[in-house]
Amino acid sequence: MSQSSLSREEGIVNKFKSRFTESVKETKIDRARRITVTCDKDHILEIAKFTRDEIAFDHIIGICGVDFPTHKKLEVLHFLGSVTNPDMHGIILILKTELPKENPSIASVVSVWESAHFHERETFEMFGINFEGHPDLRKLLTLDNWEGPPPMLKDLKFPEMSQR
Amino acid sequence: MTSNPTQTDVTVSETKDPATLDVSVGPQHPGSGHVRILMRVDGDYIVSIDPDIGYVHRGCEKIAENRNYVSNIPHLERPCIIDAIHLNWAYVLPVEELQGVQVPPRGRYISTIAAEMNRIMSHLYWLAINAGVFSGHTTIFMWAFGDRDLFIELAEMLTGARLTYSFLPPGGPRRDLPFGFEDKLTKLLDYFEKRLIEYDRIFFSNPLVVARAKGIGILTKEDAIKLGVAGPVLRGSGVKYDIRKVEPYGAYPDLEFTIPTFEEGDSYARFLVRFEEMKQSISILRQALKKIPQGPIARKAPLVAPEGEAIGRVESSRGECAVMVMGDNSDKPYRVRVMNGSFRNLVAMPYLIRNVHIADMPIIYGSLDYWPVEADR
Repeated sequence: MSQSSLSREEGIVNKFKSRFTESVKETKIDRARRITVTCDKDHILEIAKFTRDEIAFDHIIGICGVDFPTHKKLEVLHFLGSVTNPDMHGIILILKTELPKENPSIASVVSVWESAHFHERETFEMFGINFEGHPDLRKLLTLDNWEGPPPMLKDLKFPEMSQR
Repeated sequence: MTSNPTQTDVTVSETKDPATLDVSVGPQHPGSGHVRILMRVDGDYIVSIDPDIGYVHRGCEKIAENRNYVSNIPHLERPCIIDAIHLNWAYVLPVEELQGVQVPPRGRYISTIAAEMNRIMSHLYWLAINAGVFSGHTTIFMWAFGDRDLFIELAEMLTGARLTYSFLPPGGPRRDLPFGFEDKLTKLLDYFEKRLIEYDRIFFSNPLVVARAKGIGILTKEDAIKLGVAGPVLRGSGVKYDIRKVEPYGAYPDLEFTIPTFEEGDSYARFLVRFEEMKQSISILRQALKKIPQGPIARKAPLVAPEGEAIGRVESSRGECAVMVMGDNSDKPYRVRVMNGSFRNLVAMPYLIRNVHIADMPIIYGSLDYWPVEADR
């Protein structure tokens, strides 16, 4: 991939840099078509609205939680894509947010992207992350009688899980 | 997490009108896989539905954190057993990116051939069950299943397995094209192209099918984009978006094909998208057989992946399948996230199945080509 072909990605990064100073901590072009934007969790809704309205990322491909027990933190990754803007086709924009391990909570982006509905429900169930403002935050995939901790956390080791 | 959850924690979100009745469809296999759809009906009309999924959840992503990169392949392709190559490929792409392994051109062509055969097989399965059986059309069920088996036999010849191939480890496909495969596939494509004309006459142009599917479950272009649906559902609403074009992988940059789209957005348009995609797959397969270069098929890939994260995605039969793999210098991934078409199209289900007759529900459900196991993972 030649250097000039990254112009689309650089354009997006520059828009983020000029619009946000405090709430966007880091912007990084991972490779062609992949951009990671590290955000402050209190401003996620504002950044989400900007991402949808100004640079036309119109749908959520997925939401992913990651547990880092050694750093005592969780990460939430929003993977975004665009179908309306042909210039943004093929780019995955990742909004990365860090949350504390105790009572993790972040604003729900369902009001911005309706496609986030089931993804947020799954992340809530698997990581115990509370999505504030989600219209219908219930468990989705695990058994009705599952009473253990959120199953995707790293503290839950595999053999213990299979004995249940 | 509720401490003592019972079945009552699954509710239809709106407040209940005393004239309505809650009916549970499933989880005993209402068509393709185990899903429960809680319907609130008023007479013959569905007021709203609440999809209750998770009956076939097996924690693929958790299992993936405890298996090494290669032994993850068999269980990560299981969620969509009729579309195994695409799920396998979507997982292998980010692993190869992390490891810095480039698949040789011949290997990419073989993967593409396997994937397009898999797309035809998956669409034939959809045509048999989700379109044929759900609209009460027994003939197309028999025809499509019969023809699907011819492709399955060729897939067995290529990979050694009928459905769960585990054909693409990191580095390239496991086997080269076997002796005589090109001839057999060419003959089968000639036969199948003629069959598609008969399919059109007995099913897609059948006035009974048209009457049942046309104008039912309309998803407008704006709503399709807003809900973030993927694959044939998105293209049935007139959005020209295909991962094979916007982020080409495998041999797709060298091959010529069009993306079939239909503006209507109804169930019939989604039927036709898949029908036209099968025609495109025939053309892609023919080109791939003609253009396939000589040379090695695979490179040796390391067993470990360095620290970092990578996302790979493919256009699977049910829409975009994206997989994120996070490595940590060991032989096991730190985190694997599978984001597939069925889970994304789930959000359209309560949106489309409301204010419709109960009899239209199977048609709309079938037109989404929802595969419960893929959504549950």
